[in-house]
Amino acid sequence: MQNTVGKSQVMADHTVTVSRLEEVVSTSDEFDRVVSQALPVLLDRATGYTKRFLRETGQWNDDIEHEKFALRWGSEYLERFLVCGRSEVPCRPLFLFDSLVAKQHSKPEPFCYHPDLLRPLGRFLDGLVARAVVSRDALIALYRHSYGWGAGEVIAVTGLNGLESQRIYKNFRRWRESGWQRTMDEIGLTKTELAELTSQQQRHRQRFNGEAERLIRVAQAHYRKSEPDHYPCLSRAQWREMFTQGYGCDYRIWHLALCLDCMQAAWGLGSSGSLTEEKPRLELLVRP
Amino acid sequence: MGYEEGLEAYRSQLLQSLSSPPSRSVSSMSDPIQVYVNERRVGELEGAGMDARLHVQSLDHIETIQLRTEEGTLLGGLVAPEFGYRTSRIQLSSDVIELCVHNIAQGGSLSAVLVPAPSFWSRMGKILGDVTDKLAIRRPDTALAYSMRTVAFTQVLLAIMVVGLIYDRMATWMNPEGEPSFIGQPVALRTVSMTEMDKLEQQLGDLARMQQKVGETLESQQKGIAQLHQTMAQLSSSHESVASSVVMVKEEMEKRQEGPQTDRSTQRPVSDFVQKEQLEAAIKNLTVDNARLSNELARLEEHNQTLSAKLQTASVNASKAVDQNPERLLASQPDMESKNQSVQVVKSLQSPQTQPFLFWVTFSEGTSQESIDQWVHEKKGHKGVINEGWQEVRIVPPAVPPDLFLEQIRGEKIVKAARIRE
Ligand SMILES: [Zn+2]
Repeated sequence: MQNTVGKSQVMADHTVTVSRLEEVVSTSDEFDRVVSQALPVLLDRATGYTKRFLRETGQWNDDIEHEKFALRWGSEYLERFLVCGRSEVPCRPLFLFDSLVAKQHSKPEPFCYHPDLLRPLGRFLDGLVARAVVSRDALIALYRHSYGWGAGEVIAVTGLNGLESQRIYKNFRRWRESGWQRTMDEIGLTKTELAELTSQQQRHRQRFNGEAERLIRVAQAHYRKSEPDHYPCLSRAQWREMFTQGYGCDYRIWHLALCLDCMQAAWGLGSSGSLTEEKPRLELLVRP
Repeated sequence: MGYEEGLEAYRSQLLQSLSSPPSRSVSSMSDPIQVYVNERRVGELEGAGMDARLHVQSLDHIETIQLRTEEGTLLGGLVAPEFGYRTSRIQLSSDVIELCVHNIAQGGSLSAVLVPAPSFWSRMGKILGDVTDKLAIRRPDTALAYSMRTVAFTQVLLAIMVVGLIYDRMATWMNPEGEPSFIGQPVALRTVSMTEMDKLEQQLGDLARMQQKVGETLESQQKGIAQLHQTMAQLSSSHESVASSVVMVKEEMEKRQEGPQTDRSTQRPVSDFVQKEQLEAAIKNLTVDNARLSNELARLEEHNQTLSAKLQTASVNASKAVDQNPERLLASQPDMESKNQSVQVVKSLQSPQTQPFLFWVTFSEGTSQESIDQWVHEKKGHKGVINEGWQEVRIVPPAVPPDLFLEQIRGEKIVKAARIRE
């Protein structure tokens, strides 16, 4: 690939792919076929747009962290395009793709950007919380990674009943089996980086958890906007009412996973007001 | 690993997972399917082989719909049209999910139906297909849209009542001798002994069985609602076929009045006859459906009233509590404090036209405050807040559709960008 012939061949292929994407496709199957042959082109295109957006909004820096961030969102957009674009036929895939990405970028705060979230610890937390928005397994796993709880403890803390409890056990199992690894792959955390995180935590436990708490608040505040129609924060009295009356199961699961303050406010309500233990503090678990 | 290699490895990994999207695994077949509207979770469809449905009414335009597993796998989705209907049928191994999204000027609605058996699908698909094909250019009768809301509202109330029931039952079952109930038992989390754990598991099992019973009751109630939905779908379909037949007949009559049939074939009377028959049949269908619908609605209305009364007495805060979600989809009133809003919400929706039209705009670089004020004045508008450079402007609702209006605005010299949502 290093020689000139190889390069020009790549360029030519690229041009052919792009021009094919500009033509009309008329069925969903044709859409799948054309698009699946052009994934690298489309990924680079979405990544390019994302880089440009970050540059224009003063959030860019020429380093690998920013490059990875742009890649991650590029791939996120591409995934949605692959699934949703099928229903848009007949269409010209390239234009549809461009307009989908542009739509994403026209939203206020399309992604959770914070320079500290680009370093390994921040990436880990951002990736985890972002995944919780789209995956219930990851949402439940947030309790595990934030406070070190097992399924039984999650059930007690959130005050769940029978059927919901069984689901929690399932969520835990799937997360351990595949969800965690998939999320790490998605955010591009390497084995070395993960090992480094673990050793940092062992060396400076308090500082590490303090930093994690600061960062997870940033991520939680951003991704809470995707909760079911934005469940607001509640006072302890309001939480108590919800727990004792037994309603708002979804509300409890979602919001408490995504809000450290409410977790502390609602602490002890699920296990009938036992306040013998201290309020939970963030104690990050890197592995499930 | 160097900069370039690290990045390239990550890129290849992403490409690989994109090119082999994990499908809905067999183990997760029975798990609920999460439904997202505009990338916000709105509910779920029970996946356990029964037919499940979800109806969502939103005050915002619906832009995208996504279906995901509990693992987060994107199973399917849809980009909603700016206006009008779109349906999509998403095949998940043996199940099918039928999405029907409808955007109007004042928001949008989504109906998602999980259909396990193909035979049922073909019926449903026909109904939905008919509605969509025929109604694509027409907004449905407003009265119908309101009754849809009534149904959604009733569902919310039903859900509240059922949750209440479950809780009551459980409290009674779990607490026969007035001892502290399981949920209320003080448990020091980290010191639960093994025997306690066993007991806990057993109790969980019991609970699950009880819940299943309650679930069955709920299911039968849902079926009632489902039937009503179907009736309404049929009704709008009939409405439409009548409307189109009327138009055709009218056209036909006008043409005849205009002059002798020069180029018409002799088959015309036959097709007229067929049309007339179709028209009559459609009208008959419509009448029957109408009667059925009003019966259903009357019944629901009555039920509604009973439920509201019960709710009021049961707990002042019940309405604010149970998953804000469905209520807030009915109206964008974000404050928790507005209690009892469900009823008001439905009412307030009935006069959407009187509300000012709100949009956000940014101005070209170097535009003076004076010319901005002048521009707002020309629009007979009022300025609202400024958020990250976007100026909120309220005006009397424009005569043209919002999108066209925005296009017009964008074309103006001092305007850099304009949009409806914040
Ligand atoms: Zn909160």
